[in-house]
Amino acid sequence: MQYPFWNLAVGYGVLMAGVAVLHVFISHFAIGGGFFLVVMERSARKVADTERLEFLEKLSRFFVLTTLVMGALTGVGLWFVIGLLNPAATEVLIHNFVWGWAIEWTFFVVEILAAILYYYGWKRMAPADHMTLGWIYFFFAWLSLFVINGILTFMLTPGTWLVKGDFWDGFFNPTFWPSLVLRSAIAVMLAGLYALLVASRCKPDAFKVRMVRQTAWWGIAGLAAALPSLYWYWRAIPATITAAAIEALPTPMRALHYSQWLAGALAVLLILFGLIVPRRLHLSLAMVIMVAGLCWFGSFEWFRESIRKPYIIVGYMYGNGVEVRDTDTYKRDGYLSQIAYRSGDDGADLFRHACRSCHTIQGYNPLKPAFDGTDRAFIGAIVPNAHLLLRGNMPPFLGTASEANAIAAYLEAHLDRRPLSAIYGLQGIKLGEKVFQVRCGKCHPMGSPQDKTKSLAGLTQEEYRNLLNNAAGYGQGMPAFTGDEAERSVLIAYFRTLKAGGEK
Amino acid sequence: MTLPDSSFLPAPLWVITVLHVLTLSLHFAAMNFVLGGTLIVLTGRFDRRWGNPTIRRFIALLPGAMAATVTLGVAPLLFLQLAYPRQMYSASIVSGWFWFLVIPAVIGAYYLLYAASFSGKEGVSSKARFLWPALFALLYVSLVYSSVFSMAEHPDLIQRLYAQNQTGFQWNPDAGNYLLRWLHMILGAVAVGAYFVGLLGKDDPETFPVAKRLFGYGMAGAAAAGFGYLVSLNGILAGLMRTPAIWGLIVGILLSLGSLHFFFARRFLPSGLALFVSLVLMVISRHQLRVLRLQGHFDPASWRIAPQWFPFLLFLICFASAAMLIVYMVRLFFSSRPDSL
Repeated sequence: MQYPFWNLAVGYGVLMAGVAVLHVFISHFAIGGGFFLVVMERSARKVADTERLEFLEKLSRFFVLTTLVMGALTGVGLWFVIGLLNPAATEVLIHNFVWGWAIEWTFFVVEILAAILYYYGWKRMAPADHMTLGWIYFFFAWLSLFVINGILTFMLTPGTWLVKGDFWDGFFNPTFWPSLVLRSAIAVMLAGLYALLVASRCKPDAFKVRMVRQTAWWGIAGLAAALPSLYWYWRAIPATITAAAIEALPTPMRALHYSQWLAGALAVLLILFGLIVPRRLHLSLAMVIMVAGLCWFGSFEWFRESIRKPYIIVGYMYGNGVEVRDTDTYKRDGYLSQIAYRSGDDGADLFRHACRSCHTIQGYNPLKPAFDGTDRAFIGAIVPNAHLLLRGNMPPFLGTASEANAIAAYLEAHLDRRPLSAIYGLQGIKLGEKVFQVRCGKCHPMGSPQDKTKSLAGLTQEEYRNLLNNAAGYGQGMPAFTGDEAERSVLIAYFRTLKAGGEK
Repeated sequence: MTLPDSSFLPAPLWVITVLHVLTLSLHFAAMNFVLGGTLIVLTGRFDRRWGNPTIRRFIALLPGAMAATVTLGVAPLLFLQLAYPRQMYSASIVSGWFWFLVIPAVIGAYYLLYAASFSGKEGVSSKARFLWPALFALLYVSLVYSSVFSMAEHPDLIQRLYAQNQTGFQWNPDAGNYLLRWLHMILGAVAVGAYFVGLLGKDDPETFPVAKRLFGYGMAGAAAAGFGYLVSLNGILAGLMRTPAIWGLIVGILLSLGSLHFFFARRFLPSGLALFVSLVLMVISRHQLRVLRLQGHFDPASWRIAPQWFPFLLFLICFASAAMLIVYMVRLFFSSRPDSL
């Protein structure tokens, strides 16, 4: 909380994902593509295949323009963005791994120069010399991945660094090797998919058949290596993290799960149009294959980023920049005393520093729809216990009671304060269901382990009333029912429709 | 469990400072090639601008120089963020959108430079259509850098601006603190750009006189802007005069004049060396100024030092190996012939 907070209209996640997705797609291609170019050049030169060499030269122009400009600059952009969005975490990473980054920078410089010289050297260099540059490029591009992979995986699995604080413990952390193998395989796969795009535009003759087949093999080989490495990676993540993710993060977990069907579809498409009927591979189909590959890769990245929650560096720093070791200080003194840059609005400052790195009012991961129609007392009761109520993927609220109320007041000022019936135009049981969703369902979703409707079925009107009157006493963090009499009545009416087991 | 404390420097401060100064000087050299060179190509009084082979060769080199500018710009920013994270991040957050837009601006400029280098084979002015917007993008980047880095030296100003607006749209309003500095940089870039244009066109009777003239004008302009900036420092100037950096500044001015002299005498190696050393001395003075400006707010010497010697040694080995490999690759590129195998 030593930094100002960039109060972006869009969510942090959206901006971060926008830059990061673009960068990882291109940077992995930059590695695999370099390997692809030099291996293909070598085999083409062996048989003096000038047609293939011309194809590769064309591909290398696309490669250089994509990777040198977009790849390099989105990488720098990503660094800019993490510094803007989570400067505290960036500071931790830079202080611990600056030599890693500096080493990576030396690789980056060699890689960039090698790529430029390789591109301009097609016609002016001896083949062996030209390929030497190609190999240097690929080797240093992969070494860049090697280093960045250490820092990236550290954030999810810092391992014994948490005990010793040693550079090498953090770098060669538990997911380092599986992630390196997985990313190397993805780089090979993407090289094949990007090359397939270029090959699909060739005239439908024997050359196209040959090129499509060869490039499809790269895609298939990369995918075949990536799938078991993904499993290895999953196994290397501590069970506590994966178990929490399975319970608390259904969407990215489901995306990862379903994306394996995408991997299957990708394999089928590559075999069918890459190997069996390569002549029929048109640009549009190659693009579909490419999108499928990128979506599969993207689902992995989403999963990887998501399962770190509530941390940005697991076990060390929460997503909102609060260091775990400072927990007692925050509990004792609250947030405000730690916030170095103040706007003059305590509620806004507290909301930004405690919640805003993941939530917006009305954009990405919005709070307004969740709290519209409620009141300050209800929000004020939810805020300090949100990490308990929402099953552990939220950082704990470490502020004081008055700070929780200040956040509640700030949020309330941005909410639609009309009754739920007016906001949603609902009446009767339907309104009761909405009241349940807003006031109960956030923490007790039906069908989840926290579903309490089983015990609610079949009670009397009076028992339901007592239940709502005493809600605040039922467990840690449970807020009092602060809705008006109309909401209370329709909620009870809704309860009366419930059957044992939570069914309606 | 006691968690590690990450508030430390992984090497003594002087090591970080030396690396920052060295890499920033290299970045400036490349950046001046691109920015100053583009400015000269577009505005220099050449008789046949787009048909001139030297100009065409120079434009062909711009994308490579841009790549060097970007890659060499990473390291100094890294070392700066290591020693001054609170100042750097805070200033960039307050100007968040302007800072973020540096990336699309650089991407745009980079592609435009490629487009310029690939286009206009018949000597038409299509290159200008790409180079002008590229130049504006680069000027935008340089202005944002000047604004943000100057703001980073004024923590009180950051506090004040943040209290007014938190959406990242705060531009440094204290123009007196950075406009002259920015102008000094731009005019210095013209001088360095002119050196490179002149070096490339040393045998070209059309290009060399223009380069000579612009080297002189650029140097004179940079000196005037730099002098104006020093005067505007008021009390800080007195502090600067009490540090060894003032001697560096004086030597730098003398070396700049020497560089001009050698350039006019067509002795390019001593001219280039003098120019680069003067650039290094300017970077050192700039660094010293930052330290002085932050006095009372932050002292980088207050960092706890917890050296990571082995990773540092590995970095030095990689740095030296990369330098050797770069020389090897460039030599290979220029010595290799397609028929040599």
